Amino acid sequence: MPNSNIDMGDIHWLMDILQNIDTGLVVLDKDYNIQLWNGFMDSHSGISPQLAKGRNLFKLFPDIPEQWFRQKAEPVFQLRTRTFTIWEQRPHLFHFKNYRPITGRATSMYQNTAIIPLESIDRSINHICVIIYDVTDAALAQQELHHQQQEIAKLTCVDHHTGLMALSAWQHQSARELAQCHRAPTPSTIAIMDLTGVNQLDDASLACVFGIVSRALRHTDMATLLDPNHLAVMLPASADSDVRFFIERIRKSISRKIPTLSQQHLATGIAQANPDFSHLNDWLQAAQHAMQQARQQQAEWISVHSSAAE
Amino acid sequence: MATNVLICDDSSFARKQMARAIPLGWEVEIHFASDGLEGLEAIRQGKGEVVFLDLTMPNLDGYGVLEHIRREDLPAMVVVVSGDIQPDAQARVMNLGAMAFIKKPIDSAKTEAVLTEYGIMTKA
Amino acid sequence: MTTQIPLVTLSDDQRDCYQELTNVAMGQAADRLARLLDHYVVLPIPRVNLIEISDLRMAIEGARDGDAISAVCQGFIGNGIAGEALLLFNDTSYTDLARLAQYPAKLTHQDQLEMLMDISSLLIGACIQGIGEQLEIHFNQGHPVILGQHCDLKDILNVSHQKWRRTLAIEIHYTMEAVNVNCDLLLLFTEDSVQRLNKKIDYLLD
Repeated sequence: MPNSNIDMGDIHWLMDILQNIDTGLVVLDKDYNIQLWNGFMDSHSGISPQLAKGRNLFKLFPDIPEQWFRQKAEPVFQLRTRTFTIWEQRPHLFHFKNYRPITGRATSMYQNTAIIPLESIDRSINHICVIIYDVTDAALAQQELHHQQQEIAKLTCVDHHTGLMALSAWQHQSARELAQCHRAPTPSTIAIMDLTGVNQLDDASLACVFGIVSRALRHTDMATLLDPNHLAVMLPASADSDVRFFIERIRKSISRKIPTLSQQHLATGIAQANPDFSHLNDWLQAAQHAMQQARQQQAEWISVHSSAAE
Repeated sequence: MATNVLICDDSSFARKQMARAIPLGWEVEIHFASDGLEGLEAIRQGKGEVVFLDLTMPNLDGYGVLEHIRREDLPAMVVVVSGDIQPDAQARVMNLGAMAFIKKPIDSAKTEAVLTEYGIMTKA
Repeated sequence: MTTQIPLVTLSDDQRDCYQELTNVAMGQAADRLARLLDHYVVLPIPRVNLIEISDLRMAIEGARDGDAISAVCQGFIGNGIAGEALLLFNDTSYTDLARLAQYPAKLTHQDQLEMLMDISSLLIGACIQGIGEQLEIHFNQGHPVILGQHCDLKDILNVSHQKWRRTLAIEIHYTMEAVNVNCDLLLLFTEDSVQRLNKKIDYLLD
């Protein structure tokens, strides 16, 4: 980059700016030894430029993940490309205190970084500059926003009669979960419980069942009413064997609260997502099929869909 | 006698740039083609003793042109001029019989150096 | 009230020139990606168009092709010419990309984010710088922003309800040979930047 507007006599200004700018500047050589360390870095790390100069970055800051940082920085040396990292990837590169130690909500500083190639006179890249931006306020605001959006989403998805998730929202989320399972096989499971027996009782019993199920769910689990007689629960990252325990726990709670309702009234089918399910319907059918079997088996009243049998 | 030089590129801007990069003092007659099919036809008519060939083109791409030249044993010295500077692309066109590879953006110094190095250019 | 700037136009010669400049820039970007992943990147002919906001929707819809996508956008500015680069990354690409980039086979959400950032830094940076070098513009790049991982199309477009009528869009569809990796890079310039860019282009065309 041409810097024709800078005279050699003005260099001391530049040095002043470098020292006082509220952004971290670190120049590294090919061996990741620190060549420049500005005032921002000095203030936040407590390590003076004299001390930092010539020291190896990873030795001076052992908590910087070396492999990760090299993966970001090597293309800058090799391919002359600028690399950016954002706080969503890694909240910080250097563990610094938040600028507002008293009123700030975060204890450490969130950082975005840019790594840029520095060209030597012979046009080769022997140095890179790491620029560190303090983005604590933006990061906190965004996290807060995200949290609120989730709350709103939860509110709008709730079926006000049952307190469970609305069917369309549940289907949408479950279909996404199935797609996720296809990409990275995490064992997610759907359980369908027959509520015919509960429906023959009063509305209060039904509300009681919904309450028990809602309280038993983990943060990521989702329950809905497929139709008046069938309750479906989708449990991400849960194998069918775990879900069996979950169902047994729920049924125990229900039969404690509603003694007139025996376990046989709550036949349940369990199906874990597998690559053969191309649509949510396949998954639901497998669980429904298992539920029919549970009803016929009678011994346990829980049946697990076996993918090997297909 | 002037050498018949064909510039085959789908971009008129690139054709113009290439024509400008042809060294002064090389006695040439310049022909143009705007895709692979047109280029091949011109080569068959003898308008491409030396061909500056782009790779990414509609209808028939540069690889296709090179294959045809080889199959029909056409008398053309091909210099590939491309923005596809991946090592793989260079290796492929050399395998297909190209004499040299010039990376875009084109400049006259680079062009002259390549033309001289491979003895393609015969200055009057 | 600000004065209305005239609607931008694009002549055939200008379009051709943009296409060629992009061709060279994306070639440089592909070369870097190919070297990073040690795999050949297929170069298409870039599309250069003046688009309306509704066309942008279609362009993104086309890129998406029904699949879930992840998107990164990054602003750039230089010589008073400003725009945004939008990288639309098909979620089905993660598996093969992970193998090429030597990430673990079982990808976490965090791994995907890392890959997305690596690829976008590389492709966006190289393209922007490549075009800038040819036009003798030094582009500064803002920090990339994740528009949404695995999100729906409408979520991405809701973000961009800016008041523009028509602007210049350069679309590049990158694919890789023999593996399922594909992504679209969209370069969008602001309306007033197109006037300035066209002047630069006209200078080259003379």
